[in-house]
Amino acid sequence: MNLRLLDEADALLDAAETDYRDDAEALRRIREYRRRLGEPIRVAIAGMVKAGKSTLLNAIIGEEIAPTDAGECTKVITWYRHGPTPRITMHVLGGAERSLPVRRDDGRLVIDLGGTPVEEVERVEVQWPSKRLEEVTLIDTPGIASLSTEVSARSASFLIPQDTPSEADAIIYLMRHLHSADLGFLSAFHDTSVGTSATVNALAVLSRADEIGAGRIDALLSARTIAERYRSDAALRSLALDVVPIAGLVAQSARTLRQREFDALRQIARLGRQSRERMLVSVDRFVRSDASIDVSPEDRVGLLDRYGMFGIRLSAVVIRSGCDDSTELADELYRRSGMQDLLRHVSDQFRSRADVLKVRTALTALGALIRQRPGPSSPDLANAIERLEANAHELRELSLLSAARTIGLGLAPEQAADAERLIGGSGTSARRRLGLPDDAPADDVHRSAIDALQRWRMLLGSPLLDRAALEACQVVTRTCEALVVESAPTSVQRSPLRLVQHPEPAVGGGREAQSPRDDAEDEADHQ
Amino acid sequence: MQHLIELVDLGIALAERSSRADLRRRLEQTKERLLDPSIRVIMVGEFKQGKSQLVNGLVNAPVCPVDDDIATAVPTSVRHGDMPAAFVLTQRSSDGTVESGAPVERREVAPTELADYVSERAAPESDRQVTGAEVFLPRKLLRGGLTLIDSPGVGGLTSAHALTTLATLPSAHAMLFVSDASQEYTEPEIQFLRHAMRITPNVACVLTKTDMYPQWRRVEDLDRAHLRAIDPDIPLFPVSSHLRLTAVETSDPELNAESGFPALVSYLRRDIVGQAELLQRRSTASDLLSTSEHVRLAIDAELGALESPEKTPEIVAQLEATKGRADELRRLSSRWQTTLNDGVTDLIADMEHDLRDRMRSIQREAEDSIDEGDPGPVWDQFVEWFERRVSSAVTDTFVWTQERATWLSEKVARHFTEDEVALPVINVDDTRDVLDAVGEVAELDSGRLGLGQKFYIGLKGSYGGVLMVGIITGIIGMSIINPLSLAAGAVIGRKAYKDDTEARLQRRRNEAKVLIRRQVDEIIFQVGKQLRDRLRLVQRTTRDHFTTIADEHHRSLADSVLAAQKAASLYAAERDKRVTALRRDLARVDALTKRAAAIDIDGSARPSSASPEDPRTVSAVGAARAKAGTAPA
Repeated sequence: MNLRLLDEADALLDAAETDYRDDAEALRRIREYRRRLGEPIRVAIAGMVKAGKSTLLNAIIGEEIAPTDAGECTKVITWYRHGPTPRITMHVLGGAERSLPVRRDDGRLVIDLGGTPVEEVERVEVQWPSKRLEEVTLIDTPGIASLSTEVSARSASFLIPQDTPSEADAIIYLMRHLHSADLGFLSAFHDTSVGTSATVNALAVLSRADEIGAGRIDALLSARTIAERYRSDAALRSLALDVVPIAGLVAQSARTLRQREFDALRQIARLGRQSRERMLVSVDRFVRSDASIDVSPEDRVGLLDRYGMFGIRLSAVVIRSGCDDSTELADELYRRSGMQDLLRHVSDQFRSRADVLKVRTALTALGALIRQRPGPSSPDLANAIERLEANAHELRELSLLSAARTIGLGLAPEQAADAERLIGGSGTSARRRLGLPDDAPADDVHRSAIDALQRWRMLLGSPLLDRAALEACQVVTRTCEALVVESAPTSVQRSPLRLVQHPEPAVGGGREAQSPRDDAEDEADHQ
Repeated sequence: MQHLIELVDLGIALAERSSRADLRRRLEQTKERLLDPSIRVIMVGEFKQGKSQLVNGLVNAPVCPVDDDIATAVPTSVRHGDMPAAFVLTQRSSDGTVESGAPVERREVAPTELADYVSERAAPESDRQVTGAEVFLPRKLLRGGLTLIDSPGVGGLTSAHALTTLATLPSAHAMLFVSDASQEYTEPEIQFLRHAMRITPNVACVLTKTDMYPQWRRVEDLDRAHLRAIDPDIPLFPVSSHLRLTAVETSDPELNAESGFPALVSYLRRDIVGQAELLQRRSTASDLLSTSEHVRLAIDAELGALESPEKTPEIVAQLEATKGRADELRRLSSRWQTTLNDGVTDLIADMEHDLRDRMRSIQREAEDSIDEGDPGPVWDQFVEWFERRVSSAVTDTFVWTQERATWLSEKVARHFTEDEVALPVINVDDTRDVLDAVGEVAELDSGRLGLGQKFYIGLKGSYGGVLMVGIITGIIGMSIINPLSLAAGAVIGRKAYKDDTEARLQRRRNEAKVLIRRQVDEIIFQVGKQLRDRLRLVQRTTRDHFTTIADEHHRSLADSVLAAQKAASLYAAERDKRVTALRRDLARVDALTKRAAAIDIDGSARPSSASPEDPRTVSAVGAARAKAGTAPA
């Protein structure tokens, strides 16, 4: 299905290419869109200054490569994409490219622009051999609401361009608390990326969750409550798919816990309760040279830099509760940092929808191009875009999701919530759509999919629905059908419902299409 | 403070003896000010930066609720009291907006329950809204009249907070701008700081949570660099409320020193309270000095006439001439009156233009965005945006008007050549209730049609189509309902529906524009009236203020002339007695003058004299008084 969508979009761009063969600029842009269809999905990491964007990027990649600092650090837009060997390329405004030396200082890349002023650099592209980057291209952006206004403006114009679609297919938005500037930015991103086909493609992350409540050991619990509250906030709901709290610093460093650090942490954990508390009362106390502990002050500074007060306190608790192995500690820290949740969300919301999001960006871009420079067969192209948008079930799901989040579906509240979940509002796996636990047995999934289908068919027949609600019902019913088909156990032959009334959707490939014929053959055999 | 009150009492007695009720009234006001010295210091900053915890750290008690998530919602003031106590201030409200002019009800609550009232989580009562809280605590730091105010953070989702904070600023003596050590100042923070500094010049910055962030020293350096760009004199204090509270709990003086609080407390004591006291002292001294001068004028004149009768005509002539000049100031047509009247007229015109200009640009913006899309479905958000823009524009206008009004009164003061003319207290820029009189923006039809309506519109169109084609085809012998006419009905029905949709959109846009225009008119009308009223009040206050001063001068001079003339006609025996009495009075006045002058030098001799003026010259007294006069009471 997805493949088909990609192919169709590609074919459409191909047709556009022939159409615009005399217009060099348009041709360049169409080729760029086409190339983009074949690349991994682009996810930008954005947020206010010092929200922890680079730290999160490192945590996602699993290596500390992006430079981080106490002051404002990222000043140019940096792309991290997969490549066989490490390479850094600088793109100067105007199109020129220049290779930069790959230098690392304590693991982190040193991006030396070689005397080129920041204002003239369009972006820096880092190629890095990493498994994660094979599936997704990450874009690190300078913070918005920064005091160096041009840096902020750069980020804004990159993510929220005026006339072209955004360079990013989706966005992970980091915030410490929900600031009004955050909302402003998110709604601007929403507005431009929406264009013709609406969708919600931002994920909000409460970064630096470890700093809530003065780095107390239960900081992440508080962070969860906060995330829960934001999740139900009407303003944020229409702009972001979900809110996830993470402790970025802990997540980043846990992946690279060293034995030496583990030893130091164990020393701290073994201190008496009182002396440990006295030591951990403030950062200055912790690194004081006259502390009664056999860890050098330099090591302690290093620990503090890499784990923060929360990380150290958490490690002490974990070690005291019986963990005596650096791998075990690293796993536990990573588990508690909330990173897994985030990655699951990214894969649920973005990676599983990667093709759809990419196609949507390409179609929006092509639509804008046609409007700006109408060619001889532009109306045909526009029609083709519209047809694709109207027919591709995934695209309809996306725009319905956006409608559900913004203007509502015109359904009763509990039905609307059900619909939103079914079309993938909280994840695109069958179990998530059906609101089942992740480990629910296949039988349950199937049964519950059939239930949902019956429920929605019934609703579809209701004469009281207005047009918007009716369309919503149609999309949801179709989703349900796909779910039933997908979850159908291969060994079982029953299912009178199956595809008899609606033979049209080719969802799920040939397996199901096969089954009715098998039945027919069986019958023939009997006869 | 106690000896100041005694001195003022002496001055009152002296004014009484010379039967000068006007001078006495002035001194009584001075005494009132001395008895209730309230020095308000307000904590401002973005939300979740540790403002409440900072207040707690300063008074060593958990008075302001602190939460990981929920932010402070209403201002809480903490002041001195012999017993710990807490009060909640509520006002009658309807639909979440406080009725203007509603009486404030004060209700005592247990200090531990305060959190239930002042945080964002507080459950709103049906018809009353909590508008503030007061806490009284027996603390040495607060004894000098210091009042700490914990304000709701700026930049949260409910942006009205920023305006509430700016509205309370004019009544504050000083402001502590709070930001945590996790990062350097952001652009909204600096913007707020700049805005607030126009209202309150006494600003100090506090960097909180230094116990949490290893790199707080870097952040401190960065912040200092940012502050230098605004004003190099703004101090910055890195503190950790957590350390301070731990230090108090474990009574650990070393930890207390590490928390950075001692520096902040001594700044508050020395610079804020000290300076406020210094100003208080100076204004008292100058009130006393001017009273004694007025009293002495009459005594001097009479004494001079008694001691050397031959010079009496000369003295009288001199006094008359001075009196003539003073009378000039009293006359309605005098120059300062003209300046004031012209100034206020100009000011009203300017400010109306300013308001209209701002509102018009908002209106234009609003109309542009209405034209871009369908205002129906997003009307609520749109109204919210509109109201936010309006309130920030109105605040700007008021702040600007305040600046202009102060400038005007300074200009009027220049007509009084004596350098010790005080300025009247002007308070224009309080925007708390300004927009209350303006009603809500009306609802707009969201543009959703029911099935029935759609059907009706379609039917209306197709009916015409069927009839038209039916009649024509009727000519060639077909019935009215035939395939041709039905097809025409379908086509025309569809077109009618489409046209109707567009017409509806256009109508919604027009309606939305009309609504916005009406609202803008209403705002200009209501706010303009408020501003005009306030400026008239400014005019009246300024006129009364300067008239009183002119009257005092006139009265003193008239008394002196009278006394000198009376002296000439006295008999020798009585003359001696009178001279002795006058000498005694004069000695008393001299003593008061000396002590009043001593207050001033006393005050300036303290290490706290951070004020730029040289306090030893008389003109500085005037300047100090001018400052005291403009400082909000």
